[in-house]
Amino acid sequence: MNKNDFKLIFGIIIICLIFIIIMNFIPKNQAKIAKIYHNNELVLKIDLSLKENKKYVVDGDKGKVKIVTKNGKIKVEEENSDLHLCSKQGYIENTYETIICLPNKVVIEIEGKKKDIDTVIK
Amino acid sequence: MQNKINKIIWFLFLVLLIGLIIYIGYDNLNKKKRENEYVKKIFYMDTYIYIKIYSNNKDKANKILNNVEKIYKEYHELTDKYNSYEGINNLYYLKNNKNNKEYIEIDKRLYEIIKYGKSWYKKSGGLIDISMGDVLDIWKKYRDNKNGIPNYEELQKAKNNIENIVLKDENKIKNNHVNIDLGSIAKGYTTKIVGEYLKKNNINKFLINAGGNVLVGDNFKNKKYTIGIEDPNSKTKDIFKIVTCNNMAVVTSGGYERYYEYEGKKYHHIIDPNTLFPTNYMKSVTVVTDDSALGDILSTTLFLMSVEDGKKFIENYDNVEVIWYTNDDKQVMSKGFKKYIYE
Amino acid sequence: METKKFIRLSMLLAISIILNLIENLFPFLNGTIPGVKIGLANIIIIYVLFTNSFMDALYVSILRVIIVGLLRTGLFSITFIFSLIGAIISLLSMALFKKITKLSIVGISIIGSVFHSLGQIICSIILLNNIHMIYYFPFILLVSIPTGIVVGIISKTLIDNTKDIL
Repeated sequence: MNKNDFKLIFGIIIICLIFIIIMNFIPKNQAKIAKIYHNNELVLKIDLSLKENKKYVVDGDKGKVKIVTKNGKIKVEEENSDLHLCSKQGYIENTYETIICLPNKVVIEIEGKKKDIDTVIK
Repeated sequence: MQNKINKIIWFLFLVLLIGLIIYIGYDNLNKKKRENEYVKKIFYMDTYIYIKIYSNNKDKANKILNNVEKIYKEYHELTDKYNSYEGINNLYYLKNNKNNKEYIEIDKRLYEIIKYGKSWYKKSGGLIDISMGDVLDIWKKYRDNKNGIPNYEELQKAKNNIENIVLKDENKIKNNHVNIDLGSIAKGYTTKIVGEYLKKNNINKFLINAGGNVLVGDNFKNKKYTIGIEDPNSKTKDIFKIVTCNNMAVVTSGGYERYYEYEGKKYHHIIDPNTLFPTNYMKSVTVVTDDSALGDILSTTLFLMSVEDGKKFIENYDNVEVIWYTNDDKQVMSKGFKKYIYE
Repeated sequence: METKKFIRLSMLLAISIILNLIENLFPFLNGTIPGVKIGLANIIIIYVLFTNSFMDALYVSILRVIIVGLLRTGLFSITFIFSLIGAIISLLSMALFKKITKLSIVGISIIGSVFHSLGQIICSIILLNNIHMIYYFPFILLVSIPTGIVVGIISKTLIDNTKDIL
C-alpha cells in the first residue's frame, strides 16, 4: 500500500460522511402501502406514506365500502352491515393492524418495510 | 523449476477438488430452492381466516391453499346451523329434521367433531356444552336487537340436556330435538385439521389466523413467530402482550368484541351453560398450547371461570400456558407463560 | 505459447468460479446485508489484470459470471444480471484507475470493490425499482474499504509469490 491508497481510502470515507450528512436532512420516506382486499382479491392499493387526505370506495358483499385516508392513517368511514364493527374501529396506521369488515368480506392491511409482529389476535 | 510448477498445479487441483466437494456436498444438503410466501384470505365460520404458507413450488402452494379453503368451507357447511347446503346433513338439517328421534346418517367429519365436543362436557365441568344451541339463539336475538335481556325461565326452557345427543356406529346420530352449537369448537378444531393437512403435505412453515385461533408451524427465518394479543380496553387496538413461538396454537377468547349494553351492563357472547348468562370474570383469555382444538376449548372454559379456578383447571393439562386479562384489568400469567413472552 | 496462456487462464477461471461458489456457502460473507460481499473471485480478476491484460481479465470475469450463473441461479435471472453488471463495472473502473492513477494493487482492489457495490445499488434501483437502496449507499461504500483491502492484499501476495513460476 502506498500514499495514494491512503488518500483513496480517506477520500471514500469523506464521500460517505457527506452522503450520510445529506441523507439526514432528507426525511426518511418509509413506504407504507395499504392494501384492500375483497374476497382474497386485491382491489385497491393506497400509498399511505404520501399522507394524502382522500376518499375511496370499494365494493363489498353488502354494498359500497367508503374508505378515508388522513395523515398516513386509514379507516372505513361508512359501510353497510349490522354491527358496523369496522367503521367503529377508526384509524389504523401500523403494519400489524388490520380492518376486517366481516359481512362485506373486505380486509384492509398495511404493508411496510418493517414488520415486528406476524399476526394479531383478539 | 519444473518441479515447482508441478507442485503449484497439484496444489491448484487440490483447491479445485476440495472446493467442488464442499460445494456439491453443501448443495445436496440444502437442496431447497428459494421459498416464497403464499397467502390466502377467506371468510368462513363467521370469521376472517388468514392462511400464509411458505413453499418453493408455486403450483403446489396454490393447490394446497385451495385445499385448505376447501377444508374450511366443508367444515363451515357441516357446522352451520343457520343455512342448509345441498347434499349435506349439517347442523341446520339436524335442527330442523322432524324425525330426529331416529338415527340419522351424517358425515363422518361432523360425527367426529360432535363426539369431540360432547366428550368435553364432563371434562370442562359442564362449561363446554354443545347442546346449548337454543339458549345461544335466544341471546343472539337479544344481542342483535340490542334491547333487553332474556329472563331466566325463558332460557331454562330452552336449555337442553347433552345426553339427548346420542351417537352410534361412527356416522349416526339421534339428536332428540337438540339444537347443536359448535361455535366454541369448530374454528379451533378445523384449524387443527388444517395444520395436520399442511404437515402431511410437507408444508411445515405456515401461519394461520382464524379469528382468534392462531396456529403457527416453523418460521420462515431462523426465528419465532410473533403474535400480538390485542388489549381489550384499547380503543386504538393496541397490543398488550406479544407471544413468540413456533409449532404452537395461540387462542384467545374475548368478550369485548361481540357484546351489547343494556342498562349500563355489558352482555358478551360467551354464555355460561350453568347460569345461562354471560360471566363477568374476564375481558380476554389467551391460551398457548400445541393443540389448536384444545386451545379453543380451554380458552372458552377459562373465560367462564375465575383465575384461581382456571389455574387449578389447567393443572390437569401439560404444555398449556395461559394469560388472563380480568374484568378488573389485572393481567395474570400461568407459571410457564414467561417463556413465550417476546422481549 | 498460446496454449500455455489458454491453459493458464482456464485454470484461473476455474479457481475464480470455485472461490465464488465457496463464498456463497457462507452467509456471513455474502447475503447478510444486500449488496455486501467480500468478493473473493475478484482476487483472480485482479491477478489476471496485473499479470496479463485487461481483455484477458474481461474474458475471465464474464465467463465466471456466466458459469456461476449456470451453476447457481440460472442464466438471465435477476441475480445473474446483477453480478454481470457488477463484474463489468468493477473491472472497467479498475482498469481505468490502473491506467490513470498511481494506486497500488490494494488501491485498485478497493476501487473494484467500491464500484461493484455502486453497480449493485444502481441495478437494484433500476431493475428492482427499489429507490430505498440509496440509503444503503454510504454504508456499503464504507464496507467496501475493508473487503477491498483484504482482496487487494491477497492478490498482491499471490502476484509476488508466483511472479517467476506462472
